[in-house]
Amino acid sequence: MLCSSSAAIKRISVSWLIMANNSNFKSHRLSRSESSTKRPRTMSTHSSLKDAFSSYADNLNALNEKRERIVKASRDVTMNSKKVIFQVHRISKANREEVLEKAEKDLAAVRDQHISRLVKELQGTDFWKLRRAYSPGVQEYVEAATFFKFCQTGTLLNLDEINASLLPLSDPSLEPLQINLLDYLLGLADLTGELMRLAIGRISDGEVEYSERICRFVRDIYRELTLLVPLMDDGSDMKTKMDTMLQSVVKRENACFSVRVRGSEYIPLLGSSDPSSFLVGVSDVEL
Amino acid sequence: MKSALRNAYYFTLSRYSLNPNPSLLHIVPFISTFPSLPSVLSRNHPFRSPLCATLMTGGDSDSPQTSPSLEKQFEKFRVQLEDSGSLRERIRAVVLEIESATRLMQASLLLVHQSKPIPEVLQKANSQINVLKDLYNKLAEVVRECPGQYYRYHGDWRSETQMVVSLLAFMHWLETGNLLMHTEAEEKLGCMFREQFGFCFRPGGLSCWCLFHVK
Repeated sequence: MLCSSSAAIKRISVSWLIMANNSNFKSHRLSRSESSTKRPRTMSTHSSLKDAFSSYADNLNALNEKRERIVKASRDVTMNSKKVIFQVHRISKANREEVLEKAEKDLAAVRDQHISRLVKELQGTDFWKLRRAYSPGVQEYVEAATFFKFCQTGTLLNLDEINASLLPLSDPSLEPLQINLLDYLLGLADLTGELMRLAIGRISDGEVEYSERICRFVRDIYRELTLLVPLMDDGSDMKTKMDTMLQSVVKRENACFSVRVRGSEYIPLLGSSDPSSFLVGVSDVEL
Repeated sequence: MKSALRNAYYFTLSRYSLNPNPSLLHIVPFISTFPSLPSVLSRNHPFRSPLCATLMTGGDSDSPQTSPSLEKQFEKFRVQLEDSGSLRERIRAVVLEIESATRLMQASLLLVHQSKPIPEVLQKANSQINVLKDLYNKLAEVVRECPGQYYRYHGDWRSETQMVVSLLAFMHWLETGNLLMHTEAEEKLGCMFREQFGFCFRPGGLSCWCLFHVK
């Protein structure tokens, strides 16, 4: 109803003063409105108007530039966090210590080199205002950090723990950058995808038990998240992630099923060269 | 090599057959819902997800239950999210009232095009301003409960407030021929459009000011 009445207003001749992000526009626009003013009333306080709009434009420009810098930093966080995740995926019984050590170093580097830029830009304010600019980077970082923690200890990195690790980046006199609940949950949902990929990788390497442990962990997270998803602001992203999560759990369970049940059927014919074996294409395992 | 693999799988299977609760469900992958199955893990609330049956497959006796710290964390999250949800509902309730007061103003302002005398038209519209003042006060009170999260909920009142401001600007122009300034709008609505409150008078970078030509 509001739309129709505003449309009605628009049908009458209107001169628009549209405030754009461009500071050049204002003189152009103001002169247009002046020339189209053919009535006895004139716009007084012209210079104060100009000043006001000039300050609005300046503020907007500054905000947009800040946002740009934050987006850039966020992209770097995303990229480097992804690198950590790829590294951790290469983990196996043989190289565990080495991989984890490197990953820990790289995660610290993401924090010190890139998240610190976010902290610097935000300067303790506007965390929610500019959230959309840095949320993807933060989610990816949460994914990397929790993935690393799971591979290291088999437990979930808490939101409090991850935020404690970010505290040193902020100036104590300013409000510290803390990951909010929503970004943490979104990152967690992505974590489950990586965990499932790890689980399937572990099966093909013969570490079936470890794979089951991963699956149990993911099921726990899924269970907890089902209660939270309906309560989240903008839950639509999360809902898609939940569907993907369920699919990957089922995928992993199917893989385990194949290993367990069909493995027994085909054991006399085992060998990766047998075309009917589900092990076709899987690398040989030295036991 | 082949025998090594074979041994590995025999080993897994034999371990499996020692399981005291052999059940087909252990090995059948979960591909459809099993609504009537009891859940192994007793929880406070009924769990209706299709994963219900897969949860039964944790047949190993040494598999830990969900760690208590995990549960505690998520319980805390649930409480936080419920609180923010109810705050959002209260905000929406006030905003709906703002919207209806705005509609009344708008409807009375339309009379301006029917060549009614301006003071008369403005009088009706002006009466809504006090209503709006009260409503914005109410809104401010609600928002004060979540300090620092102003922008989290900002989207819930942004467009309605833009409409209010544009109507106020129109009315101001009808009365005085001038553009309503930021500070004047603040006074009219009695609310603090200030940085500490975080209200951005220029929402989203595009603010449309309509100056109407009246014949």
